[in-house]
Amino acid sequence: MKHAVSFAGVGKTYRRPGLLGARYHTALTDVSFELPAGEVTGLLGLNGAGKTTIMKLITGLLFPDAGKIRVFGHSPSDEAAKARVGFLPELPYFPPQLKPADALAYYGRLSGLSGAALAAAVEDAMRKTGLEPHAGKRVSEFSKGMLQRLGLAQALLHSPDLLVLDEPVSGLDPLAIHDIRSLLAALNSEGRAIFLSSHSISEVEKLCSRVLIMVRGTLARTVKRQEWEASPAGLEGIFVEAVR
Amino acid sequence: MRKYAALVWSVALNSFLEGARSRFFTMFAVFAFTAVYASVLAGVMAVDQEERLLGDFGLLLTELTTLAYLLFNASSSLLREAETKTIYLVFSRPVPRWAYLAGKLAGALLTGAMMLLLMGAIHLSLLYFRGFGLPPFYGWALAGIFLKLCVIVSFAFFVSLFSTSAVSTLVISAIMWTLGHFAAEARFLAEEAAGFKGLLLGLLINLVPNLQLFNARDAAGAAAALPASVLLPAAAWTLACYLAGLWLLSRKEF
Repeated sequence: MKHAVSFAGVGKTYRRPGLLGARYHTALTDVSFELPAGEVTGLLGLNGAGKTTIMKLITGLLFPDAGKIRVFGHSPSDEAAKARVGFLPELPYFPPQLKPADALAYYGRLSGLSGAALAAAVEDAMRKTGLEPHAGKRVSEFSKGMLQRLGLAQALLHSPDLLVLDEPVSGLDPLAIHDIRSLLAALNSEGRAIFLSSHSISEVEKLCSRVLIMVRGTLARTVKRQEWEASPAGLEGIFVEAVR
Repeated sequence: MRKYAALVWSVALNSFLEGARSRFFTMFAVFAFTAVYASVLAGVMAVDQEERLLGDFGLLLTELTTLAYLLFNASSSLLREAETKTIYLVFSRPVPRWAYLAGKLAGALLTGAMMLLLMGAIHLSLLYFRGFGLPPFYGWALAGIFLKLCVIVSFAFFVSLFSTSAVSTLVISAIMWTLGHFAAEARFLAEEAAGFKGLLLGLLINLVPNLQLFNARDAAGAAAALPASVLLPAAAWTLACYLAGLWLLSRKEF
């Protein structure tokens, strides 16, 4: 099976400079896993467990201190890797005075699109994320759910093979969560791999075929759907047991 | 190469539009308009030197206002993009960091060029209403101001990449701008100083750009074209600051 992402013995320590010398905080220790292409994988963990660090390492926003990371066989910093990855950070920001199509056009151009291809990609991303009826509004008029859809739309512009989503349903109302979930399921059915972090175990349970559980910077467990479906306490029970 | 040129242009245009849409830009424009027109009062007091005073005063205000806005913009731009996480959406894409920094710098300078043209037009309209013509040095003076802005704005971007706040970047850049206007005097002092002190001062002076080179009116009396030779130090300083900034940005994590 081809891997979209592979981590081998990855470590990451943050250095925070201070007046009396730097302070160090180890965020990840010896983390190894693979994300299979075309699958939905979830990332669970308490606050500070290292979920966002893993996502930033995959997207080349952070550099590992130890170990090796490969994204479709390339280093995460390579343009070849970034061209195949779409990233949705937690609470994405867009200039409030812009209309969604203008914001998307900028990010589309940064992804190397132009002319008719750019216009088609923007239209397609807006249609997929249900933003078309709101095309005339400015970002300042958007609800949190609509902003999240816009964030997802910018991640989809260049038709990535892997979507990395940091808390995609955080703070959304139940209807918006339902819509985002349906959208992610549809994107996965197109063959895209999805890697999402969440605090909502039930969301991860509904969407993912595999779940990684992080505990204080280490990968405590990798659980497949069959395992949690066979477990009487479900994924929640496995998660609580792992983090305690 | 065309792909990278398109990337730089996209970042530059976005940066320019953001700058032009900013509330601060409107505030600066209103201030500049008011300040340039208020210089009429100073001109009246100058009696027979009114034309010269209005010309000098207007150019000074144009330079200071554009400088203040661009330093504010350059000091806060990268910091704001990091704080709002906008930068995540940029660097998770196949955008090389050199192209992003070049685009940001080009966008700021494009904003500066637009401000210079706008304020120049306001200033010239004032001179016209007072019955004076286009000063012979005018275009060169604006070109000189733009070269200074290239140097100091690229320096501000460099400082913003290691500075902890926009205010400290602003202050350090303003100090550099001031020092740059006393480079000749500092050089004289270094030559006069003896021993280790002179050597150290001589070394430090080489780190300060000589911004006096770009003062068109200083070049040869009252009215002079800037010599083509000033383009070289302007380009060298801008490039050096850009490369130093790129060195920091390429190591920066978000």
